[in-house]
Amino acid sequence: MAYNIPENYSDRTPAPPLDNGTLNRMIWRSLFLQASFNYERMQAAGWLYGILPGLTKIHTNKDDLAASMSHNMEFFNTHPFLVNFVMGIVLSLEQNKAEIPTIRAVRVAAMGPLGGIGDALFWFTLVPITAGITSNMAINAETSLGSAVAAPFIFLAVFNIVQFVVRFILMRWSYKFGTEAIGMLTKNAKEFTRAASILGVFVVGALTCVYGGTKLGLELPNGETNTPIETAIIVENTTLNTPVADGGYKEELYALDDNGQIKKDADGKDELLPGASIRPLGSELSEIVHLEKAPVTINIQEILDGVLPSIIPFALTLCLYLLLAKKQWTPIACICLILAIGILGALPAAFGGMSIWP
Amino acid sequence: MGDVNVLQIVLIFLVTWIAAIDQFNFLESLYQPIVTGMVVGLILGDLQTGLIVGGMYQLMTIGNMPVGGAQPPNAVIGGIMAAVLAISLDLEPTVAVATAIPFALLGQYTVTLIFTISSGLMSLADRYAEEAKPSSITRLNYVTMTLLGLVFAIVVTLFFVGGQAVGEQVVAAIPTWLMGGLSAAGGMMRFVGFAILLKVMVSGEMWGFYLMGFGMAVIVMASPSLSGPALIILAFIGFALAFWDYQIQTKFKQSAPVVGGSQSGI
Repeated sequence: MAYNIPENYSDRTPAPPLDNGTLNRMIWRSLFLQASFNYERMQAAGWLYGILPGLTKIHTNKDDLAASMSHNMEFFNTHPFLVNFVMGIVLSLEQNKAEIPTIRAVRVAAMGPLGGIGDALFWFTLVPITAGITSNMAINAETSLGSAVAAPFIFLAVFNIVQFVVRFILMRWSYKFGTEAIGMLTKNAKEFTRAASILGVFVVGALTCVYGGTKLGLELPNGETNTPIETAIIVENTTLNTPVADGGYKEELYALDDNGQIKKDADGKDELLPGASIRPLGSELSEIVHLEKAPVTINIQEILDGVLPSIIPFALTLCLYLLLAKKQWTPIACICLILAIGILGALPAAFGGMSIWP
Repeated sequence: MGDVNVLQIVLIFLVTWIAAIDQFNFLESLYQPIVTGMVVGLILGDLQTGLIVGGMYQLMTIGNMPVGGAQPPNAVIGGIMAAVLAISLDLEPTVAVATAIPFALLGQYTVTLIFTISSGLMSLADRYAEEAKPSSITRLNYVTMTLLGLVFAIVVTLFFVGGQAVGEQVVAAIPTWLMGGLSAAGGMMRFVGFAILLKVMVSGEMWGFYLMGFGMAVIVMASPSLSGPALIILAFIGFALAFWDYQIQTKFKQSAPVVGGSQSGI
């Protein structure tokens, strides 16, 4: 990141409002929001691709276009069907040449919550209802082929009409909303930027936890239980005197002396451990209660959760921040570091060991 | 699979290519098994079976959506292969759907791999942005999207020609430890994105709000019933905080004494 994104555009005169044709072209382009989706910036490049028709109209100065494109290449992720809401607001700010930290803060603050709303609206409501009904029509193809053939088309029609109406309305409405709010915002620009940054930084903090699913799967063996568990099972009589190592129950049933021989009690009978019992069932079988020692494992993730849930996402984000901000690492170097951690962590599993990932 | 002709292979290739792109872009509905089932049925000459298998696979995926950025077993490869297997091997639709699961898992691995690799393209995109080259950004998106479609199309076409045995061999040949490591790395890459945002957004006085956002999220996510709408709840809290700060700051500004104003009154 040799290039430092400035705080202000050099040309601060608001550009003429975007015409409906440009807005429509951006709605079309927003369909390809996830064209270059990846785990580092997620939808960033697709987002930039989507708003380019607007940005190139707004920023006629090449330096300003570079600044605008660069800050719009930062991490971006929202719900693909609701992205037009963010587009409208961000473009109204770009058009009025708001300060770059303000635009960035508004963008981050707006993209976060839309994910949950979009999932609820599309994946939990629209698709289950439309796909559920039309799937049943399709499955009955043997009895009524006509309605079965119609099923995929009904699904596509309903889903896409809803999708495009949502996209269209959000784009127009949020662009208008942003443009109208801009007057109030510029009067208190400094305070507004501060407030938007607070919300933005707050959202990044929330995303670190909500999108940060990284967990460890390590379970370390840690000896056996101190208090044996009394377990009742039915076994063959021959196993009673066989050592545990050979598949029997000797040490878990009888009190042993120092030589490993079974102690005799006052009546000369074999002495059982307290809690253990043997009840002969006949046919060389007995129901026994033996004192089983269960293996104990330490679940590292549970310990970490006890310190702070999501501590790994939190710590990794802060480490990467330090590397980027203080050690001048490039994002690509950070990506390689993450890749190395992921593969090295799983490597023991290739040699019969345990991967640190679940 | 003796009676597969070249035209069918080409059509399956094209359909998969379009469906693979559509699963993340464009209409995001053409790739659904209910649609691909019908199309595969038409190509292979058994519309009825295609519709039935597509409908069944669709019902199975309803509870398995790409919610919150998670990658479920891939419905593109799974749906297409279920229809292909049902028609070409004359399997019962339910059996075909189950047989397609290994292929769907393979599709899931493929997606993880592609999303990991294309992280490397972002520094290239950064350079295009610094040089203000809109057409390069556009090309980068188109190329990445086309390549993703091609990978899927090649995989499915190979299975279509090679049959079920090839699919199972390929799935068995992938070392699970490597996939585990790659998907763990994929899950961690977003922290680089967060760190970049922090670098540009956080000045000294803002750190507290980052910690607060994280802390509130930990609390909200602890309740299973709140983890779905978590970000909406968190946005309310964050908005209240920001709005309050805005009001206080603007009040301060209005009531602050005007420095350097007229002093002649005294």
